[in-house]
Amino acid sequence: MDAGGDRRAFRPALRAGARFDPLAAGRPVLVFEGVHKAYRADAPVLRGLSLEIARGEFVFITGNSGAGKSTLLRLLYAEESVDAGRILFLGREIARLTPSSIPYLRRNLGIVFQDFRLVENWSVLDNVALPLEVLGLPARTIRQRVGAVLERVGLSGRGHERAGHLSGGEQQRVAIARAIVSEPALLLADEPTGNLDPQLALDILGLLEDINETGVTVLFATHDRTLLDVRPRRVVVLDEGRAFDAPQGLDEEAKLASLDGPLPTRGAAA
Amino acid sequence: MSALERAVRGAKNDLRLHALGVFSVAVAFLCLGATLLAVVNVDHARQRWASLGRASVYLTPRASKEQVAAIERALRASEGVTTVRHVTAEDARRDAAEVGKDALIDALPAEAFPESLEVSVQKDVRPERLEQLAAELRALPAVESVETYGSWSERIESLLAGGVAAATILALVVLAAVVSVVSSTIRLSLQRRKLEVEVLKLVGATEGYVREPFVIEGAAQGALGASFAIVLLGVLYLVVQSHLDQRLVALFGSAPTFLPWPLVLVTVVLGAVLGALAAFWSLRRFVTT
Repeated sequence: MDAGGDRRAFRPALRAGARFDPLAAGRPVLVFEGVHKAYRADAPVLRGLSLEIARGEFVFITGNSGAGKSTLLRLLYAEESVDAGRILFLGREIARLTPSSIPYLRRNLGIVFQDFRLVENWSVLDNVALPLEVLGLPARTIRQRVGAVLERVGLSGRGHERAGHLSGGEQQRVAIARAIVSEPALLLADEPTGNLDPQLALDILGLLEDINETGVTVLFATHDRTLLDVRPRRVVVLDEGRAFDAPQGLDEEAKLASLDGPLPTRGAAA
Repeated sequence: MSALERAVRGAKNDLRLHALGVFSVAVAFLCLGATLLAVVNVDHARQRWASLGRASVYLTPRASKEQVAAIERALRASEGVTTVRHVTAEDARRDAAEVGKDALIDALPAEAFPESLEVSVQKDVRPERLEQLAAELRALPAVESVETYGSWSERIESLLAGGVAAATILALVVLAAVVSVVSSTIRLSLQRRKLEVEVLKLVGATEGYVREPFVIEGAAQGALGASFAIVLLGVLYLVVQSHLDQRLVALFGSAPTFLPWPLVLVTVVLGAVLGALAAFWSLRRFVTT
């Protein structure tokens, strides 16, 4: 079992439990600089996107279908690569990572999808334990941490049930538990409420906010505008391949969008 | 969870698919095993004939007792000769009837079997020396013919060479079959477990970590297939042996034997290695970051 001892491993600038570094702590966790991405030459998805995400932020990424929300997240976990520009995660440029370093990047990320992506014929425990098994942690530690995280997402005592037998909301909680069990620096949620009814969506949003309270940076991609008005959170709108900050929710964003000219981004301003 | 545990879990989920894979590998190894079994037994027969160190001197019906006694004395005095046994026509008929256990042979008259002198020589006597002795004996008027069994050894060696060539070709066919079957099974298994692989990669599993259980499953398929083939061959061998033992003994001059244990072990290890390599190569294109 790979315990992550590779010398080429991705090593973030600051990890949980590491000695406090005031310089690293002050740096943004995530920086997009002029990022371009196109799947077809005549239809670019991202066109010079610039954005900064500070450590511990909870950021909604929104925009119409095809605006590039999922692409932006896929670039982050290196499922796709940028055509131009760069993305810095904890000070490291993702595009410059070698293929063998990508797994080590992903160990610092937690990812939640709209379709949960659980192995349905496995138990809840097996699904949630996966990131810790990949890290090569001892079985006892894994049991303890999985138990703790299941309690945190409200699924205490449900560990031995098959993931496929749970309701949609419960499955998403399992997916969130799997995403946070390894205590990642950044949690990426790609339309995590897309398959849930409004009340369950709010529950999941609340859960992600609780996780954010513990210091985990959360990027929440959604096209569900009702969620954006529930809590006063930073909202980044993707439009025409660029990111625009709507700091006070979509009502403000709508007012700004009605004005002529491009909207300033927080990243661009910095 | 160790790679082995993950492999067991994966195999359990795809039990039917893996069972089919093991069966296909077993059929391929059964063909190879059967050929090896034939080669091993032909080789045993060759070794037996080659190390017999004996000759049969067949006498003419006109040979007198004095002539036979003179030849016997001369042979005993020859260098390298250990024993000389006079086999009368009646003795020869009885020996043949005992070996073949055939009523037809029992019914034949003793005159149908030639009288002979069975000569045993030391094992270090070279075939050339035996041939020289045979040539001298053939020149005697009381001698009909001399059989040194050298020609039998040569014929069996030729048969053995053919068997080895066939086994080699069959081994290559088996190699291709095992690689093909295990690759296909593993790819199908990978397709069925696509989500599991995708999730593993998303949570930071290295390619090696993802590949490990599949390689173990491939190795297990190869080893199990080879083991089943050996067991099946053993059963078939016992069935054939129980029916044809005496006839085979008469034909080869020695009882048939099963594959030696080292060869059985090599076959199973070969299955495991081929299975592991096939799984590894089939995953190369699919399990990349």
